[in-house]
Amino acid sequence: MSNNMIKKVSGLEILVHWTMAISFFILVISGFGFMFHMEGVGSAFGGFEQMKTIHNWVGVVFAAALFLTIFHYLPVALKFTSDDAAWLSKAGGYLSKKAQLPPQDEINAGQKLLYIAVLVLGTAISVTGVIIWLRPDMANLNSAVLLSFLIHNISFVLFLIVIPVHIYMATLANPGTLRIMISGTVPVEWARKRHAKWVQKMGY
Amino acid sequence: MGRMSLLVSPELCIGCRGCQTACKEWNQLEGEKTENRGTTENPPDLSPNTFNKIRYVELPSEKNPMRLLFVSQRCMHCGDAGCMKICPAPGALFRTDEGAVAYDKDKCIGCRLCVTSCPFNVPRYDAQNKISKCHLCADRISQGLTPSCAKTCPTGALRYGDRDELLGLAKKAGYSKVYGEKDLEGLGAVYAFTDSPKIYGMSDSPAIPEAVVFWNNVLKPLSYLGLAGVAAAAVLHYVAFGPKKIEEVKKDE
Repeated sequence: MSNNMIKKVSGLEILVHWTMAISFFILVISGFGFMFHMEGVGSAFGGFEQMKTIHNWVGVVFAAALFLTIFHYLPVALKFTSDDAAWLSKAGGYLSKKAQLPPQDEINAGQKLLYIAVLVLGTAISVTGVIIWLRPDMANLNSAVLLSFLIHNISFVLFLIVIPVHIYMATLANPGTLRIMISGTVPVEWARKRHAKWVQKMGY
Repeated sequence: MGRMSLLVSPELCIGCRGCQTACKEWNQLEGEKTENRGTTENPPDLSPNTFNKIRYVELPSEKNPMRLLFVSQRCMHCGDAGCMKICPAPGALFRTDEGAVAYDKDKCIGCRLCVTSCPFNVPRYDAQNKISKCHLCADRISQGLTPSCAKTCPTGALRYGDRDELLGLAKKAGYSKVYGEKDLEGLGAVYAFTDSPKIYGMSDSPAIPEAVVFWNNVLKPLSYLGLAGVAAAAVLHYVAFGPKKIEEVKKDE
């Protein structure tokens, strides 16, 4: 690591992030294929029956990656600090041309909220997906399957709002952010503007 | 072609179950080994090899100690079919020109969501995990023939024909309210009941589960609209505020 770069995330975090991202897109595309009977999507997956198998198993990969994130982010995401209150009261500075925010730690309130949303929605969509997948052929389980089907689809809709926001925030809205999930490092000065407290803690 | 349907008249049924046999014969469905449950109603339930059956309802009362109702049970070929609504595999469930809800096992992906969505608990799955149910003898009716159950019925308890004509017939015979005339955009099997549907083991107002209706009417469009909404909001935000600009922090290196 060169002297003016700072390590923001580990190699494992990057791997887990892209595992989730790629599986997410496979799941969304096949999900749309099922929901709207998209024949083209079905053939791209080798038919709808195979698409079901792929959707289910990629869901397992997604869930496994999601599980690993708990160790990376949950403890810090659950810590609500005065910095978070300040960040939230100013909407992260996204609704003004000039951001005036107090120095932030490693992860700001917006990032914490994103993580909690992904964890809650991801858990809901994974658990309900397994119930729909492995439903035994019993009529008295119908209400459980129906509820799962409902929650699975509500999570789907919410994911399609949360993740595009995440993508916008990590690219166009904050140029230079994407490299965190590619190389894991960012220039110290870039990080200082966004996570001053953390940069200071790291001894820069 | 007008919509075709079955008219079921339990009062005419003698419980011979010829319809069950004829169905198995035409559709080449194996018999099932069952147990004596103290009733001649047999088999006990629909199965991958039993597309239709007569439900026996015993209603002994002082007035009529032998009251016995015979109700033909099968896929109702709903006008608004819950199974078709929820099915994620295009072409697995489809509507024939005659209005029957038929299926293509090669296209069924075995998810069993149709089981969840059916208001009448009809779809069953075979050993290959493919849907299996009454298709109103789609192969017969497409050739202008009568479904084998109705063809074999000796009393006219099961009649097949133009749906409007059958409804007219039932009304002429004095049945002011025919079960399934309006429910679920009209059932493809309508019933001339003389008593409340509950007596015959049928729901008063059959409906597709609310979760499925909500998903179909709200969540499906929302999945597109949410995505489009975020994209539009992102563009607006980018135009209005642009990328985040943060003022230089004083360096103290």
